[in-house]
Amino acid sequence: MFAKLALQSLLDRKGSVVLSLMAMTVSIFVLLGVEYIRHQTKENFSNTVSGVDLVVGARTGSLNLLLYSIFRIGAPTNNISWETYEAIASNAKVKWAVPLSLGDSHKGFRVLGTTGDYFDYFSYANQQHLNFAKGQAFHQVFDVVLGAQVAKKLGYQLGDKLALAHGIAATSFSLHDDRPFTVVGILAPTGTPVDQTLHVSLQGLEAIHIDWQQGVKMPGSTITQAELEKAKLQPKSVTALILGLESKMATFRVQRAINQYKQEPLLAILPGVALSELWQMMGVIENTLLLVSALVFIAACLGVSAMLLSSIRERQHEIQLLRVIGAPAYFLFFLIELEALFIALLSCVLGAGLLSVCLVFLQNYLLGHFGLHIGSNFLTGNNLSLMLAVICASVLVAIIPALSGYRQARIVKR
Amino acid sequence: MAIDLLNVRFHYPQQPNHEVLNIPSWTVPVGEQVFIHGPSGGGKSTLLSVLSGLLIPDEGQVSIFGQRLDQMPNRRRNQFRANHIGYVFQQFNLIPYLNALDNIQLASRFAQRKKAPVLLGDIKKLLTDLNISASDWHRPARALSIGQQQRVAIARALINRPELLIADEPTSSLDPFNKEAFMALLMSMVSENGISLVFVSHDLSLSHYFDRVESLNVINRCGDSP
Repeated sequence: MFAKLALQSLLDRKGSVVLSLMAMTVSIFVLLGVEYIRHQTKENFSNTVSGVDLVVGARTGSLNLLLYSIFRIGAPTNNISWETYEAIASNAKVKWAVPLSLGDSHKGFRVLGTTGDYFDYFSYANQQHLNFAKGQAFHQVFDVVLGAQVAKKLGYQLGDKLALAHGIAATSFSLHDDRPFTVVGILAPTGTPVDQTLHVSLQGLEAIHIDWQQGVKMPGSTITQAELEKAKLQPKSVTALILGLESKMATFRVQRAINQYKQEPLLAILPGVALSELWQMMGVIENTLLLVSALVFIAACLGVSAMLLSSIRERQHEIQLLRVIGAPAYFLFFLIELEALFIALLSCVLGAGLLSVCLVFLQNYLLGHFGLHIGSNFLTGNNLSLMLAVICASVLVAIIPALSGYRQARIVKR
Repeated sequence: MAIDLLNVRFHYPQQPNHEVLNIPSWTVPVGEQVFIHGPSGGGKSTLLSVLSGLLIPDEGQVSIFGQRLDQMPNRRRNQFRANHIGYVFQQFNLIPYLNALDNIQLASRFAQRKKAPVLLGDIKKLLTDLNISASDWHRPARALSIGQQQRVAIARALINRPELLIADEPTSSLDPFNKEAFMALLMSMVSENGISLVFVSHDLSLSHYFDRVESLNVINRCGDSP
């Protein structure tokens, strides 16, 4: 009955209640969203690479190297020569070395040139290796292996033919359409940037650039498909290397050796260390975002309280009446608190609903632009306790109007 | 005695020098219906608030059915009011956004007299007795006419079977026809159930319904010695 009284009373003041409800909903949406995406981003990034001891690239910032080589964010600064790759790979302490070559794309998805070893050694999350959902690794020059999202988004099946584009823009005017690739494998989903990547052999990348100069296709190319297959497609340079070492103990020694490599300026980084650098940088932004959303929420809480406070003036007769039919003064306190609680609960439900709808729509964008795989189930422990905190906070702030209601109930009209 | 006031004095804390009530002695026997008339500003509402235990006099004794309201703790006074005293105002008798049934049920919640199913039967019988047609039971109170609202107010005041009913100008907002109908209903309900009634109004034309008619000026000595 009392719940009904509180609900009916809120319904009776639809206009102002709906506005405060919207303010609360938006603030809870922002709060939950920031907290969730913050959490997911961290998890995502940490899951992207494992089992790689060192990442090697041309000398640049360590974050930059990590971002372009592993996360496919940003553009590579420079390449490293094939000789350097061979020198590093032949180091006794290096167990395996896989070259990565970036720079082309297909309909906005990046193309990675690598060797067959990539599928054997690259791992993500908890030392999980890449699995093939369909098909197998590339063996021919014009074979391509698709990441799960690429295949799903573009609807490719095994045996389909596709043309790569020069550069990494979503729409490119210079297509390598004279030499199409054939889909021979599709990887199982990983929730990492691998899903957004097309994998081809280094030779394949060489082949499509064979008669290009300075990034431009030369007209009147006469090389035939047959001649291409025969040509020696030896890459001259690669973008980066990922290394696995024989022993973790050797990591720093190998790293130092690579950093001091005389023939070429190189940079070797430990992915974990670079990631923690990234978190340090992101930490400030994250905390600022969280602080701002908390402030937005407090503002919304105060808005609800102001609405309830002003309602008490309109409800003087109602309060007087409740007192006369035997309601104790503290009943008014709890009635107002109950109304605040209803608003908070409903806002939580609406905010969470809004967030899940937005996540569904944002998922593709985040995946495509930032390689972030954000699940839509955000009702995890962290966010549930955040919601609980939100409800507690709004009940706390509602003490102000509730006390006012209590005081009003103690005043007897003459 | 239904009401027994002795040496009751009261002033509002905001106006320490302005005494509102000074009642040496006033009693109402159980089952009696009293009509009190007097000018507005004569301490009428204050007296009714003291009788219902919403206000505690500065000094003196307030006994309702032998219970000292002035000595009760807050909790018991609220309970006592819910269980024993019905109240009908001039207006704003109902929570405007609740329907008639909910309004009456709410009043019974504070008294906690009976279980819900029995109660709903009581409410429907009361509403029927008060000529509220079933089609109006589920409409919000503000959608009812003033006459209907005042009749629902009687039902609300009587649902807890109070021994004392306090009516504060309940007919002032009614037209003459509704006024007579209201009075007839009220008086029959009250005498049927043997309820003591304190009825305050400035409308002396209603006094013929009552055996005992008193002027507030006589009960309250405040006006005499300013």
